[in-house]
Amino acid sequence: MDIKELAGNSDQSRRQFIEQTARASLGVSVAGSLGASLAARAEEGKEKTTPEGGGKAKSLIYIYCSGGMTHLDTFDPKEKKEVMGDTEVINGNVDGMRFGSHLKGVAQQADKIAVINSMSSRNGAHAQARYQMMTGYNQRATIVHPHIGPWTEKYFGKRGDLLPDSVIINRGTSNSGYLDPAMSPLPVANPEAGIANSTLTTTEERFAKRMDMSLDIGKNFVDKYQHYASPKGYVEFYDQASRLLRSEELEVFDLSTVDDRDKYGMNSLGQGCLLARRLVENGVRVVEVHCGGWDMHNDIQGSLSNRLPPFDTAVSNLIADLDTLGLLESTMIVVGGDFGRTSRINDRGGRDHQPAVFSTMFAGGGIRGGQVYGSSDADGRRVGDKAVSVEDFHATIGYGMGIDLEYAIYSPSGRPFVFGNHGKPVTSIFS
Amino acid sequence: MKLLSRFLPALLVLVFVSHPVSSSARTWTSTDGKKLEAIFEKLDGEMIQLRLKNGQSVKFPISRLVREDHEAAERFSLVGDDAMTVYSAKKIDYLLATNLGRNGIRKFNDRLPDDLFVRRVYLDIIGRIPTREEFMKFAESARKDKREMLIDELLASSGRTSHLFNYFADMYRLKGSGVARELDYAPYLQWWRDSLNENAPYDEMVREMITAEGNIGHNPAIGFLERDEGMEFDAFSNFGQVMMGIDVSCAQCHDHPFEEWTMADFYQMAAFFGQTQRSTGRYAAAETGRSMSVGMPNAPKNWSSDFRKYAEKNGVDFKDRRQSRSFGYFVGALGLNVTDNEAIEIRIPNTIDEVGGQVMSPMTLYGDNPSGSSMSRREALAEWLTSRTNERFAVNIANRMWERAFGKALVEPVIDFPMDWESHTGQPEVLKFLGQEMMRVDYDLREFMRILYYTQAYQGYSTFDRPVDDGEHYLFQGPVLRRLRAEQAWDSLLTLAYGADIDNVYGGDGSFLKELMNVDFEKDSMEDVFAKFEAYRKTRNLGSKILEDKGSLVAKDPQIPVVNGIQMLRASRIAQPAAQSSLLSSFGQSDRMVTDNHSYDGTVPQVLALMNGPVTDRLTGSDSKVVEDLSQFDGPDDMVRGVFFTMLSRYPTEEELKKGLSIIEEYGEDGIRDLSWALLNTPEFLFVQ
Repeated sequence: MDIKELAGNSDQSRRQFIEQTARASLGVSVAGSLGASLAARAEEGKEKTTPEGGGKAKSLIYIYCSGGMTHLDTFDPKEKKEVMGDTEVINGNVDGMRFGSHLKGVAQQADKIAVINSMSSRNGAHAQARYQMMTGYNQRATIVHPHIGPWTEKYFGKRGDLLPDSVIINRGTSNSGYLDPAMSPLPVANPEAGIANSTLTTTEERFAKRMDMSLDIGKNFVDKYQHYASPKGYVEFYDQASRLLRSEELEVFDLSTVDDRDKYGMNSLGQGCLLARRLVENGVRVVEVHCGGWDMHNDIQGSLSNRLPPFDTAVSNLIADLDTLGLLESTMIVVGGDFGRTSRINDRGGRDHQPAVFSTMFAGGGIRGGQVYGSSDADGRRVGDKAVSVEDFHATIGYGMGIDLEYAIYSPSGRPFVFGNHGKPVTSIFS
Repeated sequence: MKLLSRFLPALLVLVFVSHPVSSSARTWTSTDGKKLEAIFEKLDGEMIQLRLKNGQSVKFPISRLVREDHEAAERFSLVGDDAMTVYSAKKIDYLLATNLGRNGIRKFNDRLPDDLFVRRVYLDIIGRIPTREEFMKFAESARKDKREMLIDELLASSGRTSHLFNYFADMYRLKGSGVARELDYAPYLQWWRDSLNENAPYDEMVREMITAEGNIGHNPAIGFLERDEGMEFDAFSNFGQVMMGIDVSCAQCHDHPFEEWTMADFYQMAAFFGQTQRSTGRYAAAETGRSMSVGMPNAPKNWSSDFRKYAEKNGVDFKDRRQSRSFGYFVGALGLNVTDNEAIEIRIPNTIDEVGGQVMSPMTLYGDNPSGSSMSRREALAEWLTSRTNERFAVNIANRMWERAFGKALVEPVIDFPMDWESHTGQPEVLKFLGQEMMRVDYDLREFMRILYYTQAYQGYSTFDRPVDDGEHYLFQGPVLRRLRAEQAWDSLLTLAYGADIDNVYGGDGSFLKELMNVDFEKDSMEDVFAKFEAYRKTRNLGSKILEDKGSLVAKDPQIPVVNGIQMLRASRIAQPAAQSSLLSSFGQSDRMVTDNHSYDGTVPQVLALMNGPVTDRLTGSDSKVVEDLSQFDGPDDMVRGVFFTMLSRYPTEEELKKGLSIIEEYGEDGIRDLSWALLNTPEFLFVQ
């Protein structure tokens, strides 16, 4: 008898058959075990090397503009009136750096900023574009890639004892991709309210007793479903939450005691940036601050006058304060979004999606300020010079944080992933 | 050996399911022992009506049948005879088993015990845990068909609609506001609730959405087309994902990476919506491509400017920013008015060099191209999509409904499954059969789900003896373990706080706004429309936006109970989606930005909400409902069991009983609080086993 006859003729079913046989007789999955052992071997042999010139950024604040911020009205203004619409052009405090007229505060920090005006992506739909900008990888049906927070926690090891290594602000949920659920960033849905439900409703002693009983009764269930990551993950979250509740660090999240909180703007982005600063001061490695509302298909001028002033206030104060605190050298601030927007203003006065070219902004963490890297063409429609892919953008962040860009971390199925998906870091924006 | 290998699968099948039955009608037995094979038609007071094999209906007093038949009739009166349901469920089991056997898996997972079963079907069908009373009712029932009875009862209840609404709200990205302009989408949300409540055939709902005309007052189903107003290509991408299971969004900028479609194919199919005017405003002219403005559909020429003049004459001060804005919102909302307009046409964006600026003629991505008839483009598209020859449409929704029951789809990802899906699933025969069944039941989603819940595969334990996601196609020896959806978690917490009565609390239904927007531009006088504007303006002044419930409060003023500051409204009946800072968002409710955007990931804030949140306070605080309920019990044993029934809907093990007893003996009534807290905070609470 041969396998072909038994299992049918297609390669697919033959492979399935071999696997099933192996599984039934050995209790293992071929792909899984093979992958895992290869992975283990590869990881053993590889030393981590900090990239030369990088590694000054001990922390990262990633400000993410969901919906796709216009590059033309912000970091890449053009001469042509028909491209710019009502947005005017202003100079930064460094020769040759120009900004859209709403970014008055940021323009005054130009000497600390590096702008990349030649970003280019192939994802023109929000979800896919955002996924890649957050993870460095294209969205796939078979795997979920981690954001920078969990990735760096896996790479560097857990930094804090009580505070999480990464926090996501203005989002209700988070995940750890293919990494251990315990590495999920802590989501803070509303920075103004801090962490909800963080006051015990009973004595600490009673709480401890209840928690013990809960873990005790819950053990059977968690053990039974050991093949699933999620129940185990909850045990971790209970552990993290219990420790957080008892820690003094919880106060970091309480912005009500901060004297000059309103200078960042009393809105979700402003307070998010303030919270991010405090978290970084207390050793949190990666903070994502999300801010929505940039999908300006209609009436872009009206929308910009709502969105850009708070953005300008928050970001410029964040840069200035970190500088004053002496933390700018060790904290990288990055601004990114889904993609750019079209130079043609559409029939409804808005700009549509444009992944072909857009801008991102860097400050701190070893960045040499006062420079623009790469360019778009005269209308801001295509890359003019020195294209930077989303992979390159991530590699640049990784370089700044001191991550070995060839060091592979393995998914549970044994697939190797490197930070930035083999992108090339833009090293020239560093000093 | 060769022979044996051919028969082996068949032999294995016999081990766990009998071959599908060919006869499907129930045999009814009269009290004097006579037998009758017939299909149930209806109960009419004391009379029962049955259909005989020859097609003839007979009606006679039900008292002439044996007791067991009374029970069957009672059950069938809820959702119809189960003859075909049972047959189809067995067929599915048979197909699954055959293939499992072929792959060396000899049996389905063990049948769930009654207690775990009742919790699962409550959560799966009506989206919340059962109360202690509901649990007891099932546990104490001696009916032979009690599982089928429970499934049918739940399927016939309003809870089914609520839970299914949550599913579609995620799939169709339903939002109450913040979509196009300042429109309040409450009537569209209510259209979904009503359609699901009436169990409208899914294919009809789809046809209605694609071909809808008018504004939200004329036809709330236009909400689908207005969802991406001003973004025709995104609108088309979303259409593809939900209605065809094809994600063509990548083809907006480049050719599809796996399938053979090019950008041209994408724009050709998008052209079915090429003459869909979704709003008053500016569009590209069909002939020249130049920007042109379009007026209010089905209205006298210059209606909008005439109405503005009328308003000015009647006291609206357009120099006042607030007045001018609220007038703009009103007219803007009236103008989100769908119609077909041959003077406009979408073009391929200029950003795409090779083909930029071109107009494409409509062409479907696969199958026969609808052509040459008097139908409008959208009618032709709807016809093509829901045609009985379009297997993919049936398979798409069947695959999703399967995912709802089993926690995992047969072919993934559901928004973009391959054209040759047969070779990308572990159970191709099952999926094929499900597509046929979807058509056989005429897209009756309730009956389709009933079939799935009746299967032996569904009624087993969730798979725990092997990894489900090991890189190979899962073969469905049983469902997979699932964390509660955010809405299930929310509705379950409300059940703990308020009981089963939450099923009967309704929020706003959008009827007020629907009434305001329902303007007949030809017949209604300016005075009539202006009166509507005045009512609209007053509502808006209540807050910055007309929210779903606020807008409708004026019309209906529903009484909504509040416990510990939380409105006792099920997730399907509050703002869609709930606020970012709400518990629903924290448990992963979709933000409705993209299709299927819910999350099942655990987080610290979720855990904190269960530890210290308002509902926990209701359970363990001084006015604890659980304590009030259970402290009247006599023995501590019953109290402990009661807490387990309330919180986890299951019997405690011997060991758990002992642990519970020790805490109640030590702390008395307070022990009930501790135990309730402990059970709420076991991971088990958050999962469907």
